[in-house]
Amino acid sequence: MHARDIMDTRFHTLRPGQSIAEAVKMFHTASTEEQKKIFGLMVTDEQNRLVGMLSMYDILLFVRPKHAGLWGEMEDLPLEGAFDELLERVKAIRVSDIMTTDVVTIGPITHVMVIADLMIKRHIRRLPVVEGREIVGIVYISDLFNHLLKKFF
Amino acid sequence: MLVKEAMRRQVVQLPVDAPITAGINHLLKFKVNAVLITDSGQRPAGVVSKTDLIGAFYAQLPIDTPLGDIMIRPPLTCYPDDPIESALDRMRHRGVHRLYVTGAEAATMIGTLSYTDVVALLYRYCRACPKSTSRRNAATEPGDEGWRLRVQEVMTSSVMSFPEGAALAQVMEGLMAYRFGAVLICSGRGAARGVISKTDLIRAYHHGIRLEAAADSIMTAPVVAWDQGAFLWEAIQHMFLKDVQRLFVHAGDPLQIIGVLSLSDAARVRSGSCRACMPSRFMTME
Repeated sequence: MHARDIMDTRFHTLRPGQSIAEAVKMFHTASTEEQKKIFGLMVTDEQNRLVGMLSMYDILLFVRPKHAGLWGEMEDLPLEGAFDELLERVKAIRVSDIMTTDVVTIGPITHVMVIADLMIKRHIRRLPVVEGREIVGIVYISDLFNHLLKKFF
Repeated sequence: MLVKEAMRRQVVQLPVDAPITAGINHLLKFKVNAVLITDSGQRPAGVVSKTDLIGAFYAQLPIDTPLGDIMIRPPLTCYPDDPIESALDRMRHRGVHRLYVTGAEAATMIGTLSYTDVVALLYRYCRACPKSTSRRNAATEPGDEGWRLRVQEVMTSSVMSFPEGAALAQVMEGLMAYRFGAVLICSGRGAARGVISKTDLIRAYHHGIRLEAAADSIMTAPVVAWDQGAFLWEAIQHMFLKDVQRLFVHAGDPLQIIGVLSLSDAARVRSGSCRACMPSRFMTME
């Protein structure tokens, strides 16, 4: 059993120059159209080559104040509206500014056991499937899980 | 107080052959001011800071130039058990804004120490102090306001400003010559309209904006300005809450800026936000 047998060939992508607001909308659109919760999207250039991945985690990392740890320990800080200015700052940021650029990919004939191993060792929840320079699909951890454990369903 | 109490256990790093574009991506994504550069054997080789990237932008280096070409070597280090006082002295003498922290193996960086981290630690101490006005029971113990530092005592009173139409190249020349972290962009009448920080400049570089572009096309607006009479602890708290590295200061009219307070200025004062423990905290460490 290989990547091509469990990969999803329907996927949505982002462009590096898009705004974060557009990316957030795309997460929503992709989730609706693919009928599953999408937490990460592939970023492609004009030739449809993979140039990065943008996850909800990347966006949260950006909107979380760097010293947020401080107010876990201080309960009486004035947190009202604390996020407003940070969200305002997101407007100047593009997908390429905060996407992950060193993306781990697999090929169509990568074996599911190798995929499971990669996902566990590198804490990855989704792996683009690339053939030559072309993106042919994506394997989500849920696809892998459902495939490997289907006998218990 | 020791380095290990204030340091961040996260080291943002890239290999020498990674392009400038990846360096900017990492600085923006992880909100750090510098990236550690490692050689082919994954050993620390140098550092690329926002300032170095602005130099590259100014020199119009292509965005795919390897970081190894612009890095400053070697990375300066300290140990987790060093007193913060000596780490701060080293930063001041060497003119850097951060040190990497090494453990038992010299080639392994286990964290970083920046001025901001030091202020965060001091802020924690100040909050825990019985003299703190920021604590809820403060209202019941009035009378020692005079101990507390105010923004005007710590701020830097020189601020550089440029007109809205100034070219980015001109702004960069000013920033680099005077080692400011940010400059003001003012209207013809001198009213503060926006700010250009090093972060705004490296983002412009990443977005392919040209050196001739006008300052107001990339500035962050409006300017966050505080009254000079505000307490230092309030200003520091605001900087942490809002994730900014500096605040501009006014003397009544928020559009007329008279100074700037940065987290590095706050680190320089060292005793935290009040005079009560000026003699006791860092001075005894030497």
